[in-house]
Amino acid sequence: MNARTLQLPPLATLGPFIALLLACTFFATQSDRFLTGQNLSLILQQVMVVGVIAIGQTLIILTAGIDLSCGMVMALGGIVMTKFATELGLPPALAIACGIGVTTLFGLINGLLVTRIKLPPFIVTLGTLNIAFAITQLYSNSQTITDLPESMNVLGNTFQVGGASVAYGVVLMLALYFVTWFGLRETAPGRHVYAVGNNPEATRLTGIPTQRVLLGVYVLAGLFYGIASLLSVARTGVGDPNAGQTENLDAITAVVLGGTSLFGGRGVILGTLVGALIVGVFRNGLTLMGVSSIYQVLVTGILVILAVATDQLSRKGGR
Amino acid sequence: MNAVLKPIHLNTPETAQQIVMQARGLVKRYGQVTALDGADFELRAGEILAVIGDNGAGKSSLIKCLSGATIPDAGDILLDGKPIHFKSPIDARRAGIETVYQDLAVAPAMTIAENLFLGRELRRQGFLGNVLRMLDKKRMLEESIARMNDLKVGIRSMTQAVETLSGGQRQCVAVARAAAFAQHVVIMDEPTAALGVKEGNMVLELIRRVRDKGLPVVLISHNMPHVFEVADRIHVARLGKRAAVLNPKKISMSDTVAVMTGAMQPEDIAAECLAH
Repeated sequence: MNARTLQLPPLATLGPFIALLLACTFFATQSDRFLTGQNLSLILQQVMVVGVIAIGQTLIILTAGIDLSCGMVMALGGIVMTKFATELGLPPALAIACGIGVTTLFGLINGLLVTRIKLPPFIVTLGTLNIAFAITQLYSNSQTITDLPESMNVLGNTFQVGGASVAYGVVLMLALYFVTWFGLRETAPGRHVYAVGNNPEATRLTGIPTQRVLLGVYVLAGLFYGIASLLSVARTGVGDPNAGQTENLDAITAVVLGGTSLFGGRGVILGTLVGALIVGVFRNGLTLMGVSSIYQVLVTGILVILAVATDQLSRKGGR
Repeated sequence: MNAVLKPIHLNTPETAQQIVMQARGLVKRYGQVTALDGADFELRAGEILAVIGDNGAGKSSLIKCLSGATIPDAGDILLDGKPIHFKSPIDARRAGIETVYQDLAVAPAMTIAENLFLGRELRRQGFLGNVLRMLDKKRMLEESIARMNDLKVGIRSMTQAVETLSGGQRQCVAVARAAAFAQHVVIMDEPTAALGVKEGNMVLELIRRVRDKGLPVVLISHNMPHVFEVADRIHVARLGKRAAVLNPKKISMSDTVAVMTGAMQPEDIAAECLAH
């Protein structure tokens, strides 16, 4: 029994990397353009929004929760910051702060409903998903917000590294992954996130304020969604009320593909980055192959089921 | 948050009779039900005190009062002669009372070292610890190895996940954690209930070692052979009171059960069978 369970961690950590390599190899054989520096930097830019949302999603899933509202909350944040900057004429920095404030507030609401009223995260975030979507549509009149101040798009600009152009937003995403990796791995609050996902009752009995840990995780996730709003606005150059619809499930897919268990307490944040890259590579590769977008949705659906099945089966095998 | 492990003080004859924890006239009512009806309790330094009692005898209410899980309606609890009023298990822990629960209260996917220090993590010195809040994993690992060696728990690697251990080994981790951080008292609530024979004996052996290191242990158990194997005195709870304190070296197991169920009155117990 020992030998078998001891093999699990490396497999769970290496699995996503292997899947990413296989996917890249496959698409490289299908399209000459896939492995060009230009295309790879495009993939990174396409991944940065979902990548940052997936950080927040990972934190929540590590506590054995789930957030179905992530993409819609992100869209609302984007509308708030673009509308505040254009119609209200706020300075861009203040408008951005308001947008991030709104997404963080949604995180706080999700967290309070989960910790204080003890509602299941699935139901809470299903509710806030619809609320955020409705507010986004009402507030924007379902209109795209254009004519943004130039400074809101800075993170979408690129710089040259050895022939490939890299967006500043991608650098920000990588920095956020590094900070989260450090926090989860090297600090006590990070370890408490894992402990809460592992065994909430045992964690509470050791004196850790588990409700505060949970609430903190939901608020932090909201903050990450806000940063993702900014990245989304910077990438597209507009405030889009229909943003976040693919990102919503893609973020969960990225987390699960990255090897984080939906049962909580297991997973590594860098796996999520790889998971987001897998999703990005599939979407990009299928597009290059000329596969219509509805098939990409189909493939994403199959991918997420495969990932959850692998998680479930490997845990059964370990017992 | 930086916890400091207490130095081990060996049990000396002078301290053997000293009262560490005491409760007088504890009352606890739940609506119409009186769970504790003036219960007394006395734990001495360096002993294993078994607490036994039938269901509804007030055993778990007593333990909950001592471990801070419930607040008694009346009565006093004294720790080292000073009155204490716990509002939560956290208060009890701060006062140096650690409780081990029967249902293997560990985080399975985390390592043994992480479990030992859960909620009491050590941080690095200087900038890394104070500003970046970095954990001192190396020191926690070293301390874990020292603690487990000290209690002679034969687990090879402190960096393996707790889920790779057997049930008995997991319970040993929980007991070792309590023993490492308790300043005064370790309370164990049915620590062997979920375990097989061999694993149960392993935990019993560990409980003895905790006592021999100088920490008094309160052992709640339904398992009479286990109680008779390790207990120095037996506190019998009955009808919300302390019916008697028995000496397991003198009294038989069947008489003990008779006192517990009320078949034998405390007055009928031979004087030598009572513990002093």
